[in-house]
This record gives sequence, C-alpha cells and structure tokens, in this order.
Amino acid sequence: MTTELAADRTLVRRTLAWLAGPVPVSIIVALAIGAVAIAIAGINPFVAYPSMVEGALTGRGPANTLQRATPIIGMAIALAIAFRAGVFNLGAEGQMVLGGLAGTLVALTMPGPGPVVIVVACLAAMAAGALWAMLAAVLQTSMGVPILISSLLLNYPARYFSSYLVRFPLKEKGSSMVATPMIPDDTRIPALIPADSAWGTALRHSLGKENALLLITRNVNYSLLVVLAVVALVIFVNRKTPGGFESGLAGQNLRFAQYGGVHTTALVIRTMIFSGAISGLVGVMLVLGSDFRLIDGALVGTNYAWTGLLVALLAANRPIGVLVSGAFFAALIVGGEAMQRSDGVSSQLSQVIQAAVIILIVVRLTLPRWLNLSRRHGRDLPAITDRVTADDEVGRV
Amino acid sequence: MNWSNLIDGELFASVVRALIPVLLAALGGLICERAGVFNIALEGLMLIGCFAAVAGSYATGSGYLGVLIAVAATVAVSAVLAYGSVTRRADPIVLGVALNIFGVGVTGFLLVAFFHVRGVFQNPKIIGLDTVRIPLLADIPWVGPVLFNLTLIGYLALILVIVTQLVMFRYPLGLRLRGVGERPTAASTLGVNPNRYRYGAVLLSGVLCGLAGAQLALGNVVQFSENMSAGRGWIAVVAVMLGRAHPIGTFGACVLFGFAEAFGFRLQGNGLPAQITDAAPYVVTLIALIIARKYFKRGIVSAVIE
Repeated sequence: MTTELAADRTLVRRTLAWLAGPVPVSIIVALAIGAVAIAIAGINPFVAYPSMVEGALTGRGPANTLQRATPIIGMAIALAIAFRAGVFNLGAEGQMVLGGLAGTLVALTMPGPGPVVIVVACLAAMAAGALWAMLAAVLQTSMGVPILISSLLLNYPARYFSSYLVRFPLKEKGSSMVATPMIPDDTRIPALIPADSAWGTALRHSLGKENALLLITRNVNYSLLVVLAVVALVIFVNRKTPGGFESGLAGQNLRFAQYGGVHTTALVIRTMIFSGAISGLVGVMLVLGSDFRLIDGALVGTNYAWTGLLVALLAANRPIGVLVSGAFFAALIVGGEAMQRSDGVSSQLSQVIQAAVIILIVVRLTLPRWLNLSRRHGRDLPAITDRVTADDEVGRV
Repeated sequence: MNWSNLIDGELFASVVRALIPVLLAALGGLICERAGVFNIALEGLMLIGCFAAVAGSYATGSGYLGVLIAVAATVAVSAVLAYGSVTRRADPIVLGVALNIFGVGVTGFLLVAFFHVRGVFQNPKIIGLDTVRIPLLADIPWVGPVLFNLTLIGYLALILVIVTQLVMFRYPLGLRLRGVGERPTAASTLGVNPNRYRYGAVLLSGVLCGLAGAQLALGNVVQFSENMSAGRGWIAVVAVMLGRAHPIGTFGACVLFGFAEAFGFRLQGNGLPAQITDAAPYVVTLIALIIARKYFKRGIVSAVIE
C-alpha cells in the first residue's frame, strides 16, 4: 500500500520534473517566439494559432499530418541511426535526391508487373542513397575529410546532377513542367485502402465521406507501413544486436568503443550505408507515392531532410521518440499551411518554430528553479530528460 | 568552346566579387576556431545578414544603414550561439546546424511578412553599395580594375586578412585568443578569461557574417532571394580547414572557391549547362580538401572537431 503510494508520488514527481525539463519548456517558448513572429507579420496570433491547431487536427488534417509524417519520420530515423553512432550525416538530402532519381529511372524504364518494379525501384534507390553516403564515409575514413563536411558538400553535386537530368535528358517533351514523364499507373505505391476499391466504397458508406479514418486510409499510402517497419527494425537492431550496441557505444564514447575492440572505421562506413539507404528509400517513396514523377527541385524543396534532422535531435535519436516528434513536426507543418491559407501567415513559420525548439533544447532551457514544482518537495530528482540534451547523444564526428 | 575569351580581366574581377562574402565569413570562422569554438552557423548568419541588409536598405533608403542593420541582426543571432556554446556548454555543431535551419526559416517567413513575396525580392527602393574606385591605382592595367574598384566592404575584407594575420601572431590579443583555444586551463591560470574571449570571437564572427551577407545582397547583387547564401557559409567553414586557420591560407582557399564560381559562371556563358557549373565550387572544395588531407593529421582543425 505505502509502496504503491510512494510509486505514485514518484511518478507525479517524475512527470513534473519532465514538464519542467527542456523539452516541454522549449516547445512552449518556441511557440511563444512563433507568436511574436506572427504579430510582427501584422496578424493576431490568437487568431492564427487556433487555425493552425484546427488545420492539423480536424477534417483532412490528421490524414495530411500522417502523410507528411511518413517521409519526415523516414528521414529522421535515417539520421537518428547515424547520430546515435556519433556519425554526423548532413548529406541526407543528397542521398534522398539520388534515391528518388534512381527509383524514377527504374520505374520509367523497367518492364514487368508493377509490384516487382516497385520493389526493384526501392532497392535501386536504397543502393543509390547508400553509395552516396558511403562515398562521404570513405572520404572521412581514408581521406581525412570530416564526414560533417564531406556529406554536406556532396548534397550539391547530387542536387545539381539530378536537376540536370530532369531538365534535359529525362524531361517530358512538350510539357511546361520541368519534370520526367509520369510513371506507369501500376508502379505507383497504392493508398492503404484506395478510394475506388471495393473496401474503399464500403468504408465510405459505413463511415461517411468526411470521416477522419476514411480520409487517412485513402490518402496515406503504404510508405507509412514501410517507414514503421524500418523504425521497428532499428529498435530491434539497437537493442538486440551487437552492431546496434557497438554503434550506441561509439556514439557515447568513441575512444572507449575503440578500446573495447570496436572496429570504428567499419562502423562509420556501415552506419552511413544504412543511413543513406533509408534516405534513398524515402526519396523513391515520395516519387512513387505522391508526385508520380521526378519534378525538378521537388525533393529538395520539401525540406524533409532538414526537418528530419531536427526531429532526430528532438527525439535524442530514440526510435519511439522519432515517431512522436515526427508526427508533432508534421502536424506543425500541416497546421502552418492551414494558417497560411486562412490568415496569410507564411507557412515557413513551422520551420522557425521547429528550429527554435531545437536551439532551446540544445542550450538546455529549463524552468527557473522557483517555478519548478518538482523541486519543492525533498531532494532534486535527476530530470529524466537530462539525456535529451543532444550533445550527450549526438556526440562528435 | 572558345577558350581565349574564358580568361580575361573581367574574370578576375568576378573572382574577387565571388570571394569577398566567403572570405568575410571565413575570417569569422577562423577567429572562432582559434578561440576553440567550432562555428558552423556561418551559413545561417550570412543568410540572415543578406535579409537584414536588404530589409534595412529598403526601409532606410541607405545601403550603409542596411549594412549596419545586417550587422546588428547577425550579432544578435550569434549571441545565441555564444550563450549556448560558451555559457551553456552546448554542442556547437548541433547548435550551428539548428541555427542554419532557423536562418532559412526566419528569412523566408519575414520575406512574406514584410514584403509579401516569395522566392525573390527586388525593388528599386533597395539601395545597393556602390563600388569606390580608387583613382590612379585603379588605372593599373589588370590589377587595378580587379583590386581597386570594390565596395567599402570589399576593401575592408582584404585589409582584414592582413590585420587578422598581424593581430593573431604579433599582438598579445591574438596570443591570448590562441591560448584560449588551445589550452583554456593554462590561459585562465594566467588570468585570461576564456569565456570572455570566446564570446568576443563568436560575436565578431557575427559582425563579419553580417558584412558578408550585406556584400552578397547589396554589393554583388541588389536583391534578396530565399537561401541566397547557397552553401557559401559552408564553403567558408571548409576554407578555414583548408587554410589551417591561418588568415593567409584561408584567403588562398577563398580565392580557389571564388575562381571556381567565377570560372563556372563563365563556362556557363559558353554553353555548359548551369547545373554542372553550379556544382563546381562544391566539388572543387571537396577535391581541395582531399588533396590537403596530409595537413589534417597535424592541423589544429581536427583537434576541435574530433
């Protein structure tokens, strides 16, 4: 009985401690900064923020949020595995772009049944992303160029190379859009329950046209399941395999890992290959699942690679955290777009808020002591979010 | 392709134009590097500088007030970096990356908020920085038009290379700064407060990035476009590495970059697709890094980021 009570009290205290910790405080302060930005734009934040929440959570909002969350979570998990191993991959954008490019080439040229083409396109995209990431890794391990720099600089050739191909050799003739031709219908990644399928019509009759669940099943495609499978795989690898243990160790303390017999060169290359493969997979899923063609600048323009980076930092590289933070940041983006439509506030506000959250977390913003309820009783608890301070986990190159 | 018209005086003039923003940012990065702060927020700072310069010039009708406003804005943002990385001991790499993303977001947001446009903002009310021709010297063939027909920021950048070199290696201030970077405990034993020097270095890099942004947005062109720094801040980071945090060496690396950009632009005029030549500066920088790899083994740069 008493132990149960004590456990309850600990839980309350831990919750209070968490609420006073960097994550919630940073989010609230970042939203306040966002409100100031909205006010600077000459709009009442008390009008704009409600339409943001409404846009993200009502009507098509949940469906849009999940749709956006899919690539964001994908990029975030790709970066989280790298950061967890202390490998600062800043080249996810280029890896994603080349994945999208390789996948498009397969989908446009390969004959055969749709599902087979989709699988081959995904494999090609993963190979392309992995190779580009591996190049960055090898530049560090055998050429001494820090991966932070090599991976970042490699974004630009990838971006311009794919832009060149889309503009000239691959461009659809006679189209006003700078894009490749559309990929065949059967190579598109289908929605979870397509609107025109028997299931889709049945669901519409039973749930009604505006039902959130119906909208989700129609608008979210199988990419979501693929990304969830990747997250599950990462959880398994992190917790149950020697490789996952080694990479976590190397991220915490590289010298210790080396002393313990971890072959860190191989680890860096391996980590980058996985990170790049996932980035490439996200790229191809965006082409086969939403655009159905490679549009010049579209993959870079989504900014998913950088949003994913912020998500991975917010989640302190934990896969479950990536799911939660990815959904949160996607909701911010969808809400921001709704706000733009209804109140004329630029949707880039979402990016400002997201970056502000991370900046505040990194500088370990917490509530001042006198406001921190958890500290009023007894001794200070170690805040459970202490480890979320990014620099412990992200580590160094 | 006609090779003879690829290289002429005009090419060198555009090399200098291309290198000045990068050089200013790189000098800022260099000072931070010497003080022991790895500053990779140069890109975001420069972009914020571009926006603030254009907005300031538009609002006040004076290019030089635009420069001042740009410097004020970038110093404010670099204060966040200084507070985070020095006082709060946050990881400067993570903080820098987040600040870069913040820079892209906030400039895009304010572009719509202030001027109701997306993408590019051009307006006759934006007053650019005129070049100041130095009489006589500018008449020297070849060298004159290239080096003596710059904006005031341009002259300042070139002078600062020499000033930084002198201060860093000939004056007590530079000695203390280097001491703070290399042996902070020893420096504080001798009564030098490392945090104060680091704050100074980061804020100074803010000033220099503000100037870099102003030169880019009011000197090289007279407009703001989203993400117009386009990786130049990162090139500046690399220039510091290539130059092993020596002002003269860093200057050399910036010249290399400026040459790649200007030459690429020239090749574009001669029929090469823009996408290929746009990638040139980054590829050239990367190749230069690979060639310079032997220096990395004993460079001071590796000590900071390892």
